[in-house]
Amino acid sequence: MLIAVLALVGLFVAVYLWMFKLGLIGSLSCKIGGCDKVNTSPWAMFLGQPVAFWGVLYYVGTFAAAYAATLERFAADRRAALLLVGLTGWGVLFSGYLTYLEAAVIHAWCQWCVVSAIIICIMFVLAVWEWRRAE
Amino acid sequence: MANSKKPALQKQFTVLLVVIAVIGAAALGWVATRSGGGGVAVDPNLPLGTAQAFRLGNPDAPVKIVEFADFECPACGQFAMLTKPDVHERLVKTGLASVEFYVFPLPMHANTWSASNAAYCANEQGKFWEMHDRLFYTMDLWNTQATKNPDKKMKQYAAELGLDASKFDECLDSQRHYPNIKASGAEAERQGIGETPSFIIGGKKYAGSLPYDEIKRLVDEELVRLGKADTAKKGAK
Repeated sequence: MLIAVLALVGLFVAVYLWMFKLGLIGSLSCKIGGCDKVNTSPWAMFLGQPVAFWGVLYYVGTFAAAYAATLERFAADRRAALLLVGLTGWGVLFSGYLTYLEAAVIHAWCQWCVVSAIIICIMFVLAVWEWRRAE
Repeated sequence: MANSKKPALQKQFTVLLVVIAVIGAAALGWVATRSGGGGVAVDPNLPLGTAQAFRLGNPDAPVKIVEFADFECPACGQFAMLTKPDVHERLVKTGLASVEFYVFPLPMHANTWSASNAAYCANEQGKFWEMHDRLFYTMDLWNTQATKNPDKKMKQYAAELGLDASKFDECLDSQRHYPNIKASGAEAERQGIGETPSFIIGGKKYAGSLPYDEIKRLVDEELVRLGKADTAKKGAK
């Protein structure tokens, strides 16, 4: 259940960053000052689309999977737990890559990207815990 | 999940998700309206004017530092406040380098066109750099999050800088420099600039803000390449 809640929160973070890329908001609310730099850098695009757009798709998918896993008919289905481990594991890898770019290439931090990375890490830990429990 | 076997709990959980979704959607809606979103109100068919570089220092200085910046970009503001004073004092005034500044308005900054227009209009009265500094130092007072009417703030700054108010207001209201601002952005894109601030020093591009020490090192390298290393030794530290 907690994974679904976290995925929903992450979805709003991703939508916020996507709105920025679409020009719907002027500047990001950013206490540490590097959000604009990160989100206007060449690495803010992936496969021709803003990274935030992929983030929205990712969180929608993860939320759907996490919510489905809470339904009674999937309660005993280990595949649902395994799917969540796969999704969140992929998220950890991609977030790690983005965090590396912030630290070593762009030399700036976007607090919203860091929040997203933390959410994904927590989701991954919960998914693994859930999967092991289902065993 | 074991808990999901309890329908009542499942129902409560779904309600909780809906509540979170409503709160999140409301927060995003508030952010979008507060920031005066909707992007930049610029005619897409605006003709392309002339890209203008605003120079600081001796045009014959051996090294040229070209900067591309957006007046509403926080990183550009940090550079203008923290690094540019050193560049000015130690590299430009000593004759080692000159600075050429190009406006590069980014699409997500709705008020940057007004600010760029103000800088161009101040330039008509010989006060581009004064307006440049004022805009960067006060960004949080006129940026998209602060106001939907940035021109009012621009006119206030013009008055405070001692510009002829009627000429400045006429220039600002006419938006006659918009084609030139567009051309300046096009020039940045032509040079392959993808973020602000970006720099070209010695013919090489550098994306992102640079600290003074790094700029000094690059200028020194260029002086050595030009066979003017002695100039660097005599110059600033």
